[in-house]
Amino acid sequence: MSAELALLGVLGAPVLQAALIMLLPKPPGLRDLIHIGFSLFAAICAAYLVSAVAHGESARIVLARPLPNVDLAFAIDPLGAMMAAVLTGLGVLHAVHAAGVVRAKQEASPARLLAFVSLAMAGVCAVAFSANLFSFFVAYQALALAAFPLVAHRGDDEARPAARAFLATLLASSIGLFLPAMIWTYAIAGALDFQAGGVLAGRVDALTANILLALFVLGIAMAAIPPMHRWLPASSNGPFPALVAIQALAVLPAGGIGVLKVVTFVFGPAMEQAVIAAQALIVLVGTGMVVAALIALSRQDIRERLAYSCMAQSLGVVMGALLAVQPGPFAPAGLFAAALQVVALACASATLLMAAGTTAAVTARTKVADYAGLGRVMPWTFAGFAIASASMIGMPPFAGAWAKLWLITAAAGSGLIWAAALASVAAILTFTHLGPLAANALAARAPTDAFKRPDGASILLAAPVILAAAATLSLLVLADPLAVFLSPIWTPGTP
Amino acid sequence: MSGALLDLARMHAPLLMIVVPFVGAALMLISGSARLAWFVACAAAIMASVVGVDFAVRLLSGAPPAIAGVAPQIYVDGVGAFAGALISLALALGVLAVGASLKDAGAREAPVALALLLCGAGSWIGALMAADLIAVVVAVEAGWLAAVGLVAVNAVRERAPLNGALRMLSIGSIGGALMLLGAAMLGRAAGGLALEALPLAHIRMPNLAGAGAALVMLGLAVKIGVAPLHAWAGAALGRGNAMVTFGVGVLSVLGAASVLCRFGAYAITAPEIGAAMSAALAGLGAVSVVVGSVQAVGARNLQRLAAYAGVSQIGCVLMSVALGSPAGFAAALIQLVGFAAAAMAFYGGAAAGRVKSLTMLDGYGQRAPLASAAIATGALSLMGAPLTIGFLGRWRLVEAGVGAGWWWASALVIVASLAGVFYGGRLIERMYFRRANAAYAGEGGVWRVALAPALIAAIVAIGLGFAPLFLLRAAGVASGMLTGIAT
Repeated sequence: MSAELALLGVLGAPVLQAALIMLLPKPPGLRDLIHIGFSLFAAICAAYLVSAVAHGESARIVLARPLPNVDLAFAIDPLGAMMAAVLTGLGVLHAVHAAGVVRAKQEASPARLLAFVSLAMAGVCAVAFSANLFSFFVAYQALALAAFPLVAHRGDDEARPAARAFLATLLASSIGLFLPAMIWTYAIAGALDFQAGGVLAGRVDALTANILLALFVLGIAMAAIPPMHRWLPASSNGPFPALVAIQALAVLPAGGIGVLKVVTFVFGPAMEQAVIAAQALIVLVGTGMVVAALIALSRQDIRERLAYSCMAQSLGVVMGALLAVQPGPFAPAGLFAAALQVVALACASATLLMAAGTTAAVTARTKVADYAGLGRVMPWTFAGFAIASASMIGMPPFAGAWAKLWLITAAAGSGLIWAAALASVAAILTFTHLGPLAANALAARAPTDAFKRPDGASILLAAPVILAAAATLSLLVLADPLAVFLSPIWTPGTP
Repeated sequence: MSGALLDLARMHAPLLMIVVPFVGAALMLISGSARLAWFVACAAAIMASVVGVDFAVRLLSGAPPAIAGVAPQIYVDGVGAFAGALISLALALGVLAVGASLKDAGAREAPVALALLLCGAGSWIGALMAADLIAVVVAVEAGWLAAVGLVAVNAVRERAPLNGALRMLSIGSIGGALMLLGAAMLGRAAGGLALEALPLAHIRMPNLAGAGAALVMLGLAVKIGVAPLHAWAGAALGRGNAMVTFGVGVLSVLGAASVLCRFGAYAITAPEIGAAMSAALAGLGAVSVVVGSVQAVGARNLQRLAAYAGVSQIGCVLMSVALGSPAGFAAALIQLVGFAAAAMAFYGGAAAGRVKSLTMLDGYGQRAPLASAAIATGALSLMGAPLTIGFLGRWRLVEAGVGAGWWWASALVIVASLAGVFYGGRLIERMYFRRANAAYAGEGGVWRVALAPALIAAIVAIGLGFAPLFLLRAAGVASGMLTGIAT
């Protein structure tokens, strides 16, 4: 298999998967087999691409040339390959879990739900592999449109306004802020290609760089930066398979990937020109992390609590990326922290949301107060929940710990002690809204009427949670290899 | 023998593009039944479009074709050939699409409506090929009166559209008078009425010439329905049947906008009045973008929404022309193609199921998946979504605008696209995420084929978004061919 073919596989398989699921919605076994099989295929292709990048191979596919000198193109790079591998790998677990949830909950229109989950996965892979700003913009909008039906899936009076808010926020910010920034970049550089070292490096003055950075970062609303975060709580009305896709595997990670790509491939050293905007944005995201974690504490519905919790974590990605503004040895540390945070957030939030989905499917409980003692009757699921909570909080040796360690180190090393303090406060608040919940679920007395289903959680519902939780341990051994793998991003020219 | 006839026809292509629709219209009146009239109209429209497209392709491929000098009033230039071919294609698709809704127009009225549709298209093509300003004014008035007649014929079954026809007649008459006055003033100041001489004319009275050009432009703007001169648009299109939406909402607007592009291209390159014309067109375009976008967001009637979205799109066309550069003219032509494709897909998808209000769209995706796909594509193109021709046109405008330092034009394009997110998103949400509240009201059986033009337009809107090189080249050549090829 060539790298081009694998790239085509990662991008095309989920689209084909969606088409087949829609064409063959019955029998459910065949539908789920297609869903899981194609997800596995995409994950294998993504893993192959990681290997190809590690061996110095390159691959680029051009789908169209919709504008003069601008291709709709996708190419492999260390950041995109790593993100795609992690997200599609978790996507396999999610495919298995989704098969269990739609059966257990007898979800309406399961084929449509799974098809759009597949399209959302295609969208995030396209974002990760986009070769230029235009392709990123197209993939971003495609992802927003693919995720829109997931939010609107129930089609009731609650889902419709939520879906409208979701789509309006994502598209309006991308058109109103990102598109002008893209046009401006094109006017300055005459090109939109992502390139190591930054397409704007040496071409912008301080004022332009500051404005452009603000437009780009706020325009990527998928990163959930206040006040562009409305879509995230709005999406918490969706069914659990949709929530996993939106908050853990596709939309929220796409925001983090987008900010990382812009900072590294569009700005590069030009970030040093955008100090004012970057520091203002760090204040915004740092405060946003703390406030989101506080709001999460106030929410009694597990879906809303996890939505705000994920938002707090996602803002950590943005903070890490923006720390690249400070010249010196700690700029790469910030970028590395951001990349690790995307991985850690994906693993932990997927685990938490799948665990909550399993709980809702077998006990019909979604209120945090009702979680007390459920760990005693669903030990595997809540073991996964506890591990993922620990990772979100930043407890060693789980993935979140390494990301937060690098983030706080980068902030402190850059002289932004207050940013490190904000990240620490957010971690403490994350502990307050997830720690007691997990502990109470495991330690309290088991409820007598826990299950609405007599047979409890099936293997389809429990196994993915445990495996995803195990993935949060991966950074314990993978952090160093990842740093080497990603180093060409912040040190162009490194093999 | 047939080869010689073909060569003869090709030599007279511009004339045939004008005459064939009129001949078809005359045959309408003796064809009797509505069905037979429709078949004749289809034949005439397809013939005109084949002639038009063949001529434009030959002209824009680089080798100017030979044209017989039998009609001194005809003067072909790149913009005229490009837009003429576009109108003839839109006519063919429009006539094919209205086949399923003949009975809505009435058995006796349908042939008349079809004849007016053909007359309108022939007139607009005539205005695009006219050599002097008076011929332009006459042809524009003929096209406009055909559009008024179309709306009025629609009022035979329902009285409400009569209001629209009356508004069109009264507002359009003022526009016509302004055009005529403007043409006279411009002719007086420039020493002649020939369009080709305008850019090089020694204009003795620049103020008079500027005022005259502005009046012509204003008259055409009324016909296009550019905001704030579009008081007729909602009334005429809001209750119209498929004939009206295609004939007025697509053909008439497209025709008038094309004529304005052509006239603007000549007037703006005349040094004495160019700057004033540019400012006027830019101002009108900007107002149109903002007002059209706001009204589209607030519209509750699907056809009104499409009309207002079209007003916003035409505003972008005017801003492109206002740039006064070949890049700007090319951007305008691309946007005209984009408007035609999006409007055709939009109106065609709606006409297939006789959808008029937004609530009738609820659950339309399940009742009529292909028609919904056409509407969704039209909406996406109108909002300027990437990989549609709408995006391409706006990008070219932005590119040309940034090159000229017109950053505000980029801002307005973004305003139009942002508004598109709201009205387009609302349509898509209704079609695909709401339960149906009524049964499918469209024709069944073989008449489902009438949806084909809307689907073709949707495919064109997407296809040209993916692979636009041919269109870009054609628009580039057309915009650079303002001096025309004489008959």
